[in-house]
Amino acid sequence: MALRRIGLYTALVLLTAVFTVPLVWMVLTSLKSYPDAQRIPSTWLPDPIETYGYEQLLQAGSQNPVLRWFANSMLAAVAQAALVLTTASMAAYALARMRFRGRGLIFGLIVATLFVPPATQIIPNFLIVDTLGWLDTLAVIVVPGAASAFGVFFLRQFFLSLPRELEEAATLDGADTWQIFTRIVLPLSKPALATLAVLAFLTNWNDFLWPIFVLFSGDQLTLPAGLGLLQGAYQTDYPVVMAGAVLASVPAIVLFVLAQRHIIAGVSRSGLKG
Amino acid sequence: MAPTRARVRRRGAATPYLFLTPYLLLFLVFALLPVVLGVWLSLHQWDFQLPNKPFVGVDNYRDLFDSNSVVYSFWWESLGATGIFTLLSVPLLVVLPLGLAVLLNRAFPGRTFFRAVFFAPYVLGVAVIGLLWRFLLDANLGLVNRLLGLVGLPDDTAWVTDLPWAWISLVGVTVWWTAGFNAVIYLAGLQDIPGELYEAAKVDGATAWQRFRHVTLPGLRPVLLFVVTTTILASANLFGQSYLITQGAPGTSTRSVVWYIVEQGIAQNDAGRAAAMSITLTLMLAVVSVANFRIFRYRED
Amino acid sequence: MNSEERPKDNLISRRRVLGLGVGLGTAAALTLAGCGGDDDTPAASGDGGKTYTGPKVDLNLWNGFTGGDGDIFKKLVDQFNTEHQNIKVGVATYRWEDYYAKLPGAVSSGNGPDIAVMHMDQLATFAARQIIQPLDDVASALELTEADFAATVWNGGIYKDKRYGIPLDMHPLGFYYRTDLMEQAGLDPAKPPTNRQEFEAALTALKAKNIQGFWMSPFQFTGGMAGYSLVHQFGGSLFNRDTTQAVYNSPEAVEAVTWCVDLVKNGHSPANVGQDADYVAFKAGKSAFNWNGIWQINDLKKSPDVKWGVAPLPQIGSKQAAWANSHNFTIVQQKRGADANKTAAAKVFINWLSEHSLDWAAGGQVPARKEVRDSSGFQQLTEVGKLAPELDYAAFPPALPGVGDVITTFYTAFNEAVLGKKDPKKAMDDGVAKANQLLADNAKKYGA
Repeated sequence: MALRRIGLYTALVLLTAVFTVPLVWMVLTSLKSYPDAQRIPSTWLPDPIETYGYEQLLQAGSQNPVLRWFANSMLAAVAQAALVLTTASMAAYALARMRFRGRGLIFGLIVATLFVPPATQIIPNFLIVDTLGWLDTLAVIVVPGAASAFGVFFLRQFFLSLPRELEEAATLDGADTWQIFTRIVLPLSKPALATLAVLAFLTNWNDFLWPIFVLFSGDQLTLPAGLGLLQGAYQTDYPVVMAGAVLASVPAIVLFVLAQRHIIAGVSRSGLKG
Repeated sequence: MAPTRARVRRRGAATPYLFLTPYLLLFLVFALLPVVLGVWLSLHQWDFQLPNKPFVGVDNYRDLFDSNSVVYSFWWESLGATGIFTLLSVPLLVVLPLGLAVLLNRAFPGRTFFRAVFFAPYVLGVAVIGLLWRFLLDANLGLVNRLLGLVGLPDDTAWVTDLPWAWISLVGVTVWWTAGFNAVIYLAGLQDIPGELYEAAKVDGATAWQRFRHVTLPGLRPVLLFVVTTTILASANLFGQSYLITQGAPGTSTRSVVWYIVEQGIAQNDAGRAAAMSITLTLMLAVVSVANFRIFRYRED
Repeated sequence: MNSEERPKDNLISRRRVLGLGVGLGTAAALTLAGCGGDDDTPAASGDGGKTYTGPKVDLNLWNGFTGGDGDIFKKLVDQFNTEHQNIKVGVATYRWEDYYAKLPGAVSSGNGPDIAVMHMDQLATFAARQIIQPLDDVASALELTEADFAATVWNGGIYKDKRYGIPLDMHPLGFYYRTDLMEQAGLDPAKPPTNRQEFEAALTALKAKNIQGFWMSPFQFTGGMAGYSLVHQFGGSLFNRDTTQAVYNSPEAVEAVTWCVDLVKNGHSPANVGQDADYVAFKAGKSAFNWNGIWQINDLKKSPDVKWGVAPLPQIGSKQAAWANSHNFTIVQQKRGADANKTAAAKVFINWLSEHSLDWAAGGQVPARKEVRDSSGFQQLTEVGKLAPELDYAAFPPALPGVGDVITTFYTAFNEAVLGKKDPKKAMDDGVAKANQLLADNAKKYGA
């Protein structure tokens, strides 16, 4: 048993090294000065530790309102994740558990749009949001992305794999569909919902093609769209880019750590089933 | 938006539609309508401001299959590039994360930390991982070749400018970047498999491999279908990695099809041509996915 | 291009869209996009940019000056705003590639700027797409003529006999050298090589000291631009005179590219140089020479450890030539028709900034305007000034709509040749075949 445990940890530590070395390099580079980051052969440790990258990012009075972009991104990603969770869970439940005319057709259409590469839909989508008068507003980076079929397909697959018995028992007890959905199915699906919340948040948080295309004022930009403006056209200023990456990844990692407790349902679930 | 209890009870037949309405509104306007609009664009030579947007019928589609057309060789080359990438990356991205998820689903001290570690690369945007790896993989100055040299391996591999290395780099970087994504989905799926099944199997004397084969895999089947489908699609959408890391090199051999379509539509101002390519690619992906669905459904029943 | 047919075409479009069951609003958007600003003849208001006396106006300006350039530009704009009580210019900055991608959509949806800064090689494309408007009246009212600029820069702003851009600066490729490495190899750092013989002798001397003198990047930045310069130096060109055919597979052009490839073969450059690696190696003291844009002057000044100098490109071929591009001011078409006051104010701004381009030169660009170049202030900017002579023989890209993707075929061919994937002649032949297809396609698309 102890031997297996050692094996497990060895495997994990090796994998961890592969996964984290580039990230460690990213953090260390964010703490270098501009010339220090360009040494060849490159060094690991910043010498000396400099806050140059972060200063460039956050300098007061610059034409780049990084904190504003951060807030825009946060608002958009949270709003979109909430929209996805609400609409997709309801639709997925109907598609997974209810029988009705047109179910196959509707699900087929939804899945079919998954095959359309999103990056190629920028111009048609642009024409639509322009017609709606949404260009350069918050709505344009929250709502259209929530139409992705990903969430519905994802949750439907999870609802399908839930045991039906609980819902059947609740029906016998006189619960209606809405009660079954909100009081039984959703709590049982916490792992899936938490996962989807993280993924939906990140999709929005990291998107930059679409925001660049539909936002026009400097104040409205999202973080990934704005960070590109911090470096010159002809040089890659690694400390600034990496400082931006560190800044952008902190909330996402915090969110993941918070959510992952729900992703692993643990004992409480099996208790329910008894 | 949410249907109230009373409404649900009164109109039982309407219930499914009430559940579907909020999403379908979004879906119709921002997912289906753009496709319809794309079909319309694809029949034209279309640019935002160009005064003349002539109707060209199916010319934009015919060009894709006419070896004398200007787009033919670029289109098929980029399609081939995406095909190679998809074939190489999907098996790795389906299998490795499953192993990772099974590993991380056990109870042991520090598992929250390890979960975060494997998921961490995915929180970075493609712009960051692209710059990061371009620097690390540089043939002459990069860290990867330097580390390989330190342990006595060849230190002059052209990771981003030669084949097959450019593909190995793109696949490797993508696995590093998104393995955590699939692992988390598997992890969520594993929570749905009732623990009693494992206990029963243990009582019957099943080995760890037998439990995985006969309890875990069947229990994950709907999730597996989801992972395989979305991974194929994600790989087929390759764009940022090759745009930033290999920049298509050598020549245009690692330029992906989505990159080429975006370039046609936005940089070369031909939204009609781009739309025709997008629709053709969509149909190809649909064929692949339907086959994939068939395989899984067959095994589900 | 026939204006009489346009409304009909739009009506047909509208019907087709409705026939497919798409909502009214979308069809309207498509139709509007189709006729945005078509028939606005530029308002020939005021005196074409000398003064503006109308009511207070707000102008929007877009540029791609990220990083340090943007700060210098912003300061100039602030100064303009304080000097002009009735004009307020607001600046928005995007990365160039994003900027060119989003401008058409912004203009067609009425979100575009009033003034746009653009590279010279983009002018024809954006003019043909009716995103920017002619400004011949600005030039004539300001009495600007070819004599005020270098001919190459001035004539690059013309498309179909109309002027679309007022040049602000020009930025050529320069020859950067490490003085410390030259000394190590026994070369005189005060006399950087100026011709083929000296350049190759210097490379040989460096090689004797185990220094790979000139890292040849296979990518457009900067190897491709060096190759572009050399094609012109050897007497070749990318296109024929009327830009109907690509000719960069001529013996001269192939000889030029072969010279680049041979640098790798002869050990003056490592193989597989990555994007930016040539410049990073130069800064780190691994490469003695680097042909790079004038814009790196300010970047090099940020690294005090690097001992460097800059000079015009050495003449490797039969004549002098250097890749160059230029930033130009343009006035954007407005969806809701031109506002005469705004147009007049925009012209005042363009004229003012052109006259004040000396301050812009501090950003590392050669001012396009001759009087500014001749001023004592500019002469004091020694490094930038060293590249000013290149203005006379700069090889600018041709004014041709859609030229971007055609030139890309050259850079792709160059990439294949330098990476050793194809023999130079074969790479150039393949590239030219693609380029000619694209040229024919563009001619059809833009009605050239």
